[in-house]
Amino acid sequence: MRRQLRLELLRGTAPAAALVMFGASVWMLAVHQDDWAGRWAGLASWVRQSMLILAALMVAAGAWQAGRERRRQIGDLLASTARPAWQPMLVAWLAVSLAGTAGLLVALAGAAVLVGRLATYAGGDWWWTLAVGVLALWTASALGVVVGRLVPLRVAAPIAGLATYLGLAVATYAPLGTVTWLSPVHAGWGAERLVPAGTHLRQAAWFVALTALLLAVAARRIRVALVCGALAAASVVPIVTGPLPRRLPADPAAVEPVCTVEGPQVCVARMNAYLLDDVAVVLQPVLHRIDGIPGVPARAADEATAPPGYSMIDDDGTIWFSLLGQSKALGGLERLDWLRASTDSFLARWGCYDGRRDEGAYDATVLARAWLHQEPPYGDIPVDRLLARPLPQQRAWFADYLAASRACDSTRLSELARVP
Amino acid sequence: MTVTVEGVRIGYRNRVVLDGLDLHLGTGVHGLLGPNGAGKTTLMRVLATVARPDAGRIRLLGRDVADPAVLRQVRRQIGYLPQTFGYYPRFTVREFVEYFAWLKEMPPAGVPLAVDRALERVGLLDRADDRMKHLSGGMLRRAGIAQGIVNDPRLLLLDEPTAGLDPEQRVDFRALLREIGVDACVLVSTHLVEDVASACTTVSLVDGGRLVFTGTPDELAALGTDPGSGDSPIERGYSAALRDARGVRR
Repeated sequence: MRRQLRLELLRGTAPAAALVMFGASVWMLAVHQDDWAGRWAGLASWVRQSMLILAALMVAAGAWQAGRERRRQIGDLLASTARPAWQPMLVAWLAVSLAGTAGLLVALAGAAVLVGRLATYAGGDWWWTLAVGVLALWTASALGVVVGRLVPLRVAAPIAGLATYLGLAVATYAPLGTVTWLSPVHAGWGAERLVPAGTHLRQAAWFVALTALLLAVAARRIRVALVCGALAAASVVPIVTGPLPRRLPADPAAVEPVCTVEGPQVCVARMNAYLLDDVAVVLQPVLHRIDGIPGVPARAADEATAPPGYSMIDDDGTIWFSLLGQSKALGGLERLDWLRASTDSFLARWGCYDGRRDEGAYDATVLARAWLHQEPPYGDIPVDRLLARPLPQQRAWFADYLAASRACDSTRLSELARVP
Repeated sequence: MTVTVEGVRIGYRNRVVLDGLDLHLGTGVHGLLGPNGAGKTTLMRVLATVARPDAGRIRLLGRDVADPAVLRQVRRQIGYLPQTFGYYPRFTVREFVEYFAWLKEMPPAGVPLAVDRALERVGLLDRADDRMKHLSGGMLRRAGIAQGIVNDPRLLLLDEPTAGLDPEQRVDFRALLREIGVDACVLVSTHLVEDVASACTTVSLVDGGRLVFTGTPDELAALGTDPGSGDSPIERGYSAALRDARGVRR
C-alpha cells in the first residue's frame, strides 16, 4: 500500500492540497503575525484560530479527491476490481491529509524559526493544541471524502469548503459554551490561557471517532459506521459536560513577572519577556519623568501578570499595559501608540469629567500627555516651552496639573495649559 | 464453461435492457455483436460484476458470483475494458497499469514484471513513463487493454476495444486477442464485424436484450444471402440474423 500512497501523494490531489495549505498558512501567518510572534503557545493557538480557513480547505481537498472517480468516469473500471473500495479511498484520503498537513507544517516550520529566535517561554503544553489541530484537519478531509463520494456534482468540493467555513464561523461567533470544544476552531482566548490536558484528550478522541465515522460512511460500511457513530457520540458526552472555554486558567509559569533590574521597574509576563527591553525603552523614560511626584505610578506591568480577578482600574501605583497583538515576527513592538495610550490611562483616572466641555482643561491634558512622552511641539500646545524648563520645574508643573485635574479646577487648568 | 448466464434480466428506468438472456462461453475469443441499444454494454457490465441483474443466474469461472467472498476471488481473475475508458491523466502509463495491478490484488512481487509484460503486449513499453494525458486516443485504448490484461485474466471483457486504433494496431490487437484466447475466455463487444470475423472463434448477436444468434463467424456469414445488406459476407450475415430475429418477434 506504500507504493499506492506514494503514487497518490505525487499524482493525486495531494500536491495541490499541500500547495494550497502552504499558501493559505503563509498568508495567514503573515497577516496575523502579532497573534503568534515570539510565543510557542501563540503559534499553536494561531493554528487553531486559522482552522476556520484551513479546515474548509481540507474539506474541499478531500471532496475533490473523492470526486475524482466520477469526474474521470472510471467508476465501472474500479468497481470490477477485487480490492474493496474502501482501501483505495483510504489511501487517497491519507495522501490528501498527509499532504495538507505537510503544507501547514512547512509554513509553521518557517514561523517556528522566527518564534525560536525570540521565545522566552516554551511551556504551556502548546504541542497538544497543535496536535489536536492536525487531527481536526484529518477529520476535515474525511468530511470532504464523504461529500465527494456522495454528492455527484463537480462543484461539490468548493461548495463543501464554503459551507464548512460558514458553519465554523457561525460556531466560532456563537456564545462560548462547552459545545465550542466540538469545533476545531479556537476563539483566541490568549496565549497565556492553559487548556487542560483532559480537554485536549477529549477533543482528540472526538476527532478520531468522527474521522472513523466519516470514513465508514464514505465507504458505505454501515456496521462499522454504527460502531464509530456510537464511539463519536460517547466522546461528545465528556466534552459537553466538561469545563467552559471562558473559564480557562492562566498558565502560572507563562505569566510569572519578569522585571527590569535597572531604572524604574517595568515587568512583563515570562512569555512576553522577549519584549521587555522594547517596552522598557518606552515606559522607563515616562516613569523616570514622573518619579517623585506624589501619588503617580512608580512601576509599569504587563496585564498578563495581574493576579486572577485583579482590578487594574484601581489606583495601585502601577501603569498596566497589554502586549496582546503587540509583537512583530522579527521582534519589536507592533503598535507603540497602544503602549503610550496605556501610560496615559492613569491620567484618565485622575481626570475631571463633569460633563462640560472645557477647552482649558482639554489643552492642559493634551500638554500633560505630550510632556509625558516628550512629543515634539504641535499646534498651539506649548510643550517645547515646558520641556525647556529644568526637570524639577517640569515635575512641579505636572504635579500642579494632576492636583488641578483632581480638583476639577478649570481656571487653574487653563492657566497650566499656557505654561505660566 | 468460463461464463454461464441463465435467464438474466435487467431493467433501467422502466426499460428492459436484458430480457432473459442466456449465454455460455468457454476458452477462446468470442465476439459480441448487436445494434446500438441492444444491451451489449449492459451485458459486459453484468459480466464484469459491475451491474447486478434483477433476475437470473450468473456463474463466472465456474463459480456463483452472488457470494461476496467468491466475487472477490473471481474479480482477481477478470480483466475489463469498459466502453467509456476513464483514466487518471497525471499518472504515467506504468503507474496507471501498476495501480490496477494493485486493485486486482496481484502479489506485489510479481507486479513490476507483469506491468512491463502487459505494456509490451500492447506496444506501449516505450511510452511507459509518459503521462496518460499525453497519449493519443489509440494509445489510451491500448493502455486500457494493458490494465485489463496485467493480471493474466481467465476472463477478459473488452467493450469496443478497437475504437481509435489505426489499421496496423488493429491487426496487432487481433493477434494479441488470439494469443490470450488460447487459455482464457475473451469476450469482445464491438460494432466492427471484420474484427469478429478475423479474431473470434464464436460470435454472439444480441438484439433487444436477447441473444438472437450464437455460432462461428462462418455460420453467421452463411446467413447472409441478400447482396444489398452489407459489403462483406459477415455483414450480410449480421443483417440477416437481425432481420430474422425481428421477424420472429413480430
